[in-house]
Amino acid sequence: MSEPDGYAHLIGREFPGGEYTVAPWRAWLTADTLLDDPYDEVPHPVLAWMAGVAGWGMTWDEFFGWFDATADDGPMFGEHRTTMYRPLRMGATYRVSGRVVSAERKVGRRAGTMDIVGYELDLHLGEDHVARCFNSIVFPRRPA
Amino acid sequence: MSSAEARAVPRDVRVGTEIEPLELTVDPEKMKVMAALLADPNPIHFDPRSLAALGMQERTVNQGPLNMGYLQTMLARWAGGRDRLLSFQVRFRGNVLAGDRVRAQGVVTAITDTERGRVATCDISLRVLGGAEVLTGTADVIIEEH
Repeated sequence: MSEPDGYAHLIGREFPGGEYTVAPWRAWLTADTLLDDPYDEVPHPVLAWMAGVAGWGMTWDEFFGWFDATADDGPMFGEHRTTMYRPLRMGATYRVSGRVVSAERKVGRRAGTMDIVGYELDLHLGEDHVARCFNSIVFPRRPA
Repeated sequence: MSSAEARAVPRDVRVGTEIEPLELTVDPEKMKVMAALLADPNPIHFDPRSLAALGMQERTVNQGPLNMGYLQTMLARWAGGRDRLLSFQVRFRGNVLAGDRVRAQGVVTAITDTERGRVATCDISLRVLGGAEVLTGTADVIIEEH
């Protein structure tokens, strides 16, 4: 059961964090799933977000659990932003950190109650900030 | 072919210039690979039976990262390389299903001189042909490096 007043108290909570290596085989398969060129020397930019959620140090189920939800509740992507400060590099191992940055409860006439949670993920290579990704997830809440 | 080798810098870009669109048909086998790459256990991306149990059409649902990746591919090809994407923002408005044919498209809305070169700001969208607009947003790409 979800919190009656929403999840604003989780804003600022940090993910455990970790690392992600843009291994050539991962870059190849990712480009191939996109029907793009798997032989390009520059990894596909979608790998910035994939690196973030692979290296944030938790599973999706654990993340959903912070908001008293599961995959069965039908969480949906809301918005996404990627900012690339530097291109990704093949074979590089990025340090991943991230946090919850917003949590808002909304009530729609048709959709009912929902919690919209925003989180951001940062990729660093050495001292360089390489990318930041923001994503929001919509958690539908069934009527009590 | 690398981004550098493929670099075909767009010419005569101005506000209103349309980005070369990208059309493709969504392959359910690619969703299975992406589910594995993402360690995403949600069966709506690979198991048609799970969709039937949920009362949905028995066509698997494409992952959000694949949908946004199509737009990023379009931008990178047009701008002359994957390293030219600076920022990318989209709102998810609907689903793309296995077998759908989608079209990524965009138009330049502003051009700015920055430290990294001339940057085109673009409105972008992904549409299911014969269906709905499923992603809309904006992006900044380098069109000419200093």
